[in-house]
Amino acid sequence: MTDALDRARHLPLAVSLVILTGVVLIPLGRLGAEVVGGGWASIDRALFDRDAGRAVLHTVLVAAGTTALALPLGTALALLTERSAVPARSMLRFGILLPLLVPAFVLGFSWGQAYGPSGLTDDLASLAVPGLFGPIGIVLVQTVDTAPLAYLIIAAGLATRSEPDLERAARASGASRLDVLRSITLPLLRGPLVAAGAVLFAASMEAFAVPVVLGVPAGFGTMTTRMYQALQRSAEPAAFGEAIVLALTLVVLAAIVLAPVERSLRHPGSATRTGGPEGSSVGPPRRSGTVLLAGAATVYLLLGVGVPLMAMVLTALTKAAGLAPIPANWALTHFADALRGSAIGALGRSAALAVAAGFALLALGGLVSWVERRPMGRSLGSLVSLTFMLPGSAVAIALIVAYGRWLGDTIAIIFIAYLAKFWTLAHRPLSGALDRLPPDLERASRASGAGRLTALRTITMPVLAPAIIGAFALVFLFSLHELTMSSLLAAPDTQTLAVVTLNLQQLGDRGATAALALLVTVATVGATAPLLVVRHVMQRRMGQGA
Amino acid sequence: MRDGPHVLGRRAIAVVVLVVAVACGDDGGAAGAPETGSVRLYTSVSEETVDAVVSAFESNNPGVQVEVFRAATGDLNARIASEERSGGIEADVIWASDPLSMQAWDEQGLLSHGWTPDGASEVADPFKSEAFWGTRLLYMVIVHRKGVEPVPSSWRDLAALEYRGLVEIPDPGFAGSALAMLGYLADEPSYGIDFYRDLKANGARQVASPDDIVTDVAEGRADAGITLEFSGRTAAEAGSPVEVVWPEPGAVSIYSPIGITASPSDEEAARSFVESVLSVEGQETIAATGWAPILPSVEGPPVPPDATIVNPDWAGLFSRQSDLLEEYRSIFEG
Repeated sequence: MTDALDRARHLPLAVSLVILTGVVLIPLGRLGAEVVGGGWASIDRALFDRDAGRAVLHTVLVAAGTTALALPLGTALALLTERSAVPARSMLRFGILLPLLVPAFVLGFSWGQAYGPSGLTDDLASLAVPGLFGPIGIVLVQTVDTAPLAYLIIAAGLATRSEPDLERAARASGASRLDVLRSITLPLLRGPLVAAGAVLFAASMEAFAVPVVLGVPAGFGTMTTRMYQALQRSAEPAAFGEAIVLALTLVVLAAIVLAPVERSLRHPGSATRTGGPEGSSVGPPRRSGTVLLAGAATVYLLLGVGVPLMAMVLTALTKAAGLAPIPANWALTHFADALRGSAIGALGRSAALAVAAGFALLALGGLVSWVERRPMGRSLGSLVSLTFMLPGSAVAIALIVAYGRWLGDTIAIIFIAYLAKFWTLAHRPLSGALDRLPPDLERASRASGAGRLTALRTITMPVLAPAIIGAFALVFLFSLHELTMSSLLAAPDTQTLAVVTLNLQQLGDRGATAALALLVTVATVGATAPLLVVRHVMQRRMGQGA
Repeated sequence: MRDGPHVLGRRAIAVVVLVVAVACGDDGGAAGAPETGSVRLYTSVSEETVDAVVSAFESNNPGVQVEVFRAATGDLNARIASEERSGGIEADVIWASDPLSMQAWDEQGLLSHGWTPDGASEVADPFKSEAFWGTRLLYMVIVHRKGVEPVPSSWRDLAALEYRGLVEIPDPGFAGSALAMLGYLADEPSYGIDFYRDLKANGARQVASPDDIVTDVAEGRADAGITLEFSGRTAAEAGSPVEVVWPEPGAVSIYSPIGITASPSDEEAARSFVESVLSVEGQETIAATGWAPILPSVEGPPVPPDATIVNPDWAGLFSRQSDLLEEYRSIFEG
């Protein structure tokens, strides 16, 4: 009897290890085997030739710059919507999350269309952003792109970690709101902050869409653009090896940079929540101050998201490039081109796959969050993030090499690719929130007679609800917008959204690409709106206020 | 059965029929239209063209099914390379957008030899090899915005002071067509790799995709650029204010080869498909989707009568790819 209980206790760890091995470790191992088998030549070409060092430097600098800007931005926005009495909170939340809802493959060129020379602002007000091409532009655009990631993780953390008594005590002792923020709220947010920073850095390291559009014209190459170029020649074994070496180096680099970060995450602080979770407001005392902050956030949203989106809409509507974006030149031809063939079916198929991945990864992310708090599972969270840092084409290559003989041409191999790549996106928000869940609540319910599952259902999950919804939304959106893996792993004649999109891009049909992206965004908003409503309702029920 | 002259005659006829059947079965020349079968096609050719060719083939060969895997060149290469390392390529026919990858696969023994399709004799020599044959031609030309003065008429003009800072060229590391340009100009006596130095000194900007160049020229971010004739022509037809120039000393041609893999699952069907692409009907289908057919007898999109067309040395380019690219990168990325 005790043996069975003992074994059951190790079951989550065992299951996690098995899945981790199959989904992450075996594919990575096969890639490593390819590099070793290819000999020193490909390593030499990839890492030690003239441009290699510069590409590495560029990649790390851009990633560091993006994280340094996006993390404070995401945190400030999260504090604004979750911890201050800002008006129009729901609309602000939607606006902040909008870049996540727009596919990344259009954000790159829509910034150029908006702010570049001969762009929207140039035409309207003769204002163009100098240096949009090059590292500054890449960092700016990626910051706006990835700030919502940080926002989601931190907001989920704020919703579960609140120490209202500590904050009230500080205020009662005479601390100003700023002091409370600095000395209590932010330090206690350490877990989600660090988790968000790790995700931002990893996402920025393996970004490709923005560096290609904004970096190549300035001669600013990154490791991902070099890898793409190597794949262009990968019919030659040497170039294929070069691409794999670059991909694995990205993972190693990111893992090295994030190692101290990961270690700090393994010693979570403890929380004692003795009151309701409202927390106290850290916003400005006067309403005018709050409105000012809300205004600042709105200006940021307009400039960072609104104008590029408008540029994208105009591109989709205007009949041909170079014609003035006035109604006389508008037509729906691009939408017709985008919908020609099986775009709707492709969208449906991709959405179903994304939903499935969302649910599966909720379970897997929760599993790892649970297991890494046990003595033997501590490094599981870091291992899970390894494949997130791996560029999509490398993940796909790894899976074909490892499992292609058995799973090639099936939907299973694409599903495994999503599991591998986005596992950490589900894990981090859940882990950050779980970090701060006080054990007293659960103990109280168990002492009152609730079973383990009842306690889970009625105590843990409602408190974690924002994190759960955030994790699901991240996985769903990333899976839906993912292009490379879906296209590389597709079975013949399978139309996924990626295949349709890439074909339009390859034809150079920017108008149709923009039209398709618009349709996908509208469809995504339609699908995500219920999630936001659910979140709203749940917070109301928990008395957290809107 | 009784022996007799008419029975002997029947036996003789049976033997003759048998011999003829065996002889027709495998003569290394024309492949007969297969009754049933399947072809697994891996291609980077644009969807519209592939769909048109495949549906024409399938309606002519009702029992044969064609499965198409489409991806851009880099992804196509990655897929084939990965499948090779996982137990063998699954493709039966590969249809690429430029010959460089095909040459690489041929060198590794991944394409089958010993058979020539029916239409191959009409394909000009620079556009075919023993294992793969060109199916259509793509041309690199100059595109400029309407009203730009003076109108560029040669590649050399792009390095002229009048276009300082207003010229865009495609990055050869990202597009095979741009690599073909690099290969041709590097060999051309009056140009060489120094021409790229002149371009860079004149403020030319590199762009990853040749199609983005057409958009940038149309929208005024550049005055002129190098791009595919197909992109320039279709943009102009859609209403963009751009014009295509077939420059001196010649527009650079790229051919799009098709070949059969070393061990296809259904050799007869694969051969039949390749032949259909090279047939008059297949070529007309390709021309109808906007590309220049390879057979001189089939009419394609209009080419100006005084236009010169030149071919890069593909074999030479194949062996010098990395060196050329490195030199280019040292010029454009410092």
